[in-house]
Amino acid sequence: MLALGKSTSSAHKRYVVRTIAFMSGYVAINVAAIFGAFDDIASPVAAWVLALAVSAPVIGQIWATLALMRESDEFVRAVVAKQFILASGLAMAVASVWGFGESYADAPHIPAWIIYPLFWACFGLIAPFVKSSS
Amino acid sequence: MKNRLKLLRVERGWTQEQLGQALGVSRQAVNALETEKHDPSLDLAYRIAVLFARPVEEIFDNPHA
Repeated sequence: MLALGKSTSSAHKRYVVRTIAFMSGYVAINVAAIFGAFDDIASPVAAWVLALAVSAPVIGQIWATLALMRESDEFVRAVVAKQFILASGLAMAVASVWGFGESYADAPHIPAWIIYPLFWACFGLIAPFVKSSS
Repeated sequence: MKNRLKLLRVERGWTQEQLGQALGVSRQAVNALETEKHDPSLDLAYRIAVLFARPVEEIFDNPHA
């Protein structure tokens, strides 16, 4: 997700370990779903539990990114926060345009969870241009 | 913010990594300070001043003076 040059700070190492852990869980649950492990779920409660289980690693990865900011020095914190805010704004703008496109222009429906990969795509676009804290 | 951090560091023969360790910040932070890509917090500016035993304004130019 985040690439901070050749950073080897303990905060960045913890971020990498946490991200790998959360993304491994995310991939495992989705692979299980693709291969039909949850096809027999019938009750709405169980379906919501599954939805929360799939979302949990995503929430965890967002926490890992916020923890990186908290645990880093003031420069890294400022730059990552700036990148995070700009990427969030861009992702919300794109999602809003598409959402209203669905409402008014018959754009094909896209599920709401796409906001998460969209956010990281926006982050990847923005990050190379935001290297200063000021 | 214009500063003499690199000059002071090189005078002592320190690498950016070593200065970062002395200040409790990353090498990237030291590099960003030296290349004027980061204005230090008051706390960090005072830590730098103590480390080099100089007043803050001898290390960082006051942009409002």
